[in-house]
Amino acid sequence: MRKQLACTIATAMLLPASGHAGGFLGADGGKLPLTAGFSDVEGTGGGGLVPWALITGYGSNKSWGANAHYGDVRLRDFDLRTAGIGVGILDRVELSAARQEFEATETALEGVEVAQDVFGIKVRLAGDAVYTQDSWLPQIAVGAQLKRHGGIENAGALVSPIQLGARDEDGADYYLSGTKVFLAESLLVNVTLRHSKANQLGLLGFGGDEESSARTRVEATVGYLLTRKLAIGGEYRDKPDTLGVDDESAAWDFFVAWAPTRHLSVVAAYVNLGGVLSPVTGVDHDQTGSYLSFQFGF
Amino acid sequence: MRKLLLTAALASLAMTGLARAEDSLFAQIGGEAKLRATVDSLVEVMMEDERINFTFAQTDLTKFKGLLYDQICELTGGPCKYRGRDMATAHKNIDSTNQMFNALAEDLYIAFERQGVPYRLQNKVIALLAPMEKDIVK
Repeated sequence: MRKQLACTIATAMLLPASGHAGGFLGADGGKLPLTAGFSDVEGTGGGGLVPWALITGYGSNKSWGANAHYGDVRLRDFDLRTAGIGVGILDRVELSAARQEFEATETALEGVEVAQDVFGIKVRLAGDAVYTQDSWLPQIAVGAQLKRHGGIENAGALVSPIQLGARDEDGADYYLSGTKVFLAESLLVNVTLRHSKANQLGLLGFGGDEESSARTRVEATVGYLLTRKLAIGGEYRDKPDTLGVDDESAAWDFFVAWAPTRHLSVVAAYVNLGGVLSPVTGVDHDQTGSYLSFQFGF
Repeated sequence: MRKLLLTAALASLAMTGLARAEDSLFAQIGGEAKLRATVDSLVEVMMEDERINFTFAQTDLTKFKGLLYDQICELTGGPCKYRGRDMATAHKNIDSTNQMFNALAEDLYIAFERQGVPYRLQNKVIALLAPMEKDIVK
């Protein structure tokens, strides 16, 4: 994990980043600070839990941008780390790849690890979140997150989420996002509809003994812009609950996001991921904790 | 009687609130002095900004300041009338990009910062200018 993270960051830093070049080959850093969004726990351009319609990176519509990110969600009994890279092309298409590692740090499951790779694609369909201040039309994008399970380790004979009742190890989430910056109110509002049957983001497979098919659920972000480089806000994400052995519920967070330069952004949050495997661990509390994410790029 | 007094008090409170709400954005940001100083700061910042300064190389900056002042003053509800060309015509021969449009917006934020105009008011002004993107950028 550490080696992979170092590698992705090195790759991103080696890419040509010429701040003022006009042509497509030069990354122009053409967006305003904060308007490139952040990298969420699945590597997609968004907030912390929710993908936005914004295309990642600071490249304008005649250029491109890229970034590497590392995020860590430290919950009461679990730890979720995400590292990956994202590329935004022509402010139209976003491609991302991320690896998630999920580890039980307390309870009888302590030491158990689960991994997953997430490959994301997002296409902006219409609108501009910032310019069209004279209209209600948000920036609208569709996206997919293709998820490949990396197995369960340190759990004895338990090596696959299928053994927990999941229908599939691998799967995909599809989403439609609308993002709008209401500049006169200094507000960013995002609503995302996600069609998914992923258990705990897919870390526990897709579909289960209690529900086999995907459903569309709502996610949302509201952010208040405090300065040109600092925002605070909250997010909500409804999640499926298809496994009998799990008690998955909606997740939410309160965040502070800071973009001191176009090359670095930091998101810190208080997060509640709801129940995680409580019928197995026997704990009766929600999985609350801290979220810290760093994004480096241009 | 007590009820009447309360109503009167509430009404006067509401009217104070209304009066404040009716203050133009122009007045809220500090009126003519503040806006002229901001436009001066903007020209300083943008002429140092290599992303866009070359597009102003042939510009009469004194005239530009006057036009920009009138434009923002009128947009924010101040007692001015912009008499320059419309944005599409004015940028007809300039190969402006989103990057350049955003650079100027960023420089305007910096200029407002230098003049101590609160960020939420800066955003209200930028919100009025942002829709011009479709006329300025090709």
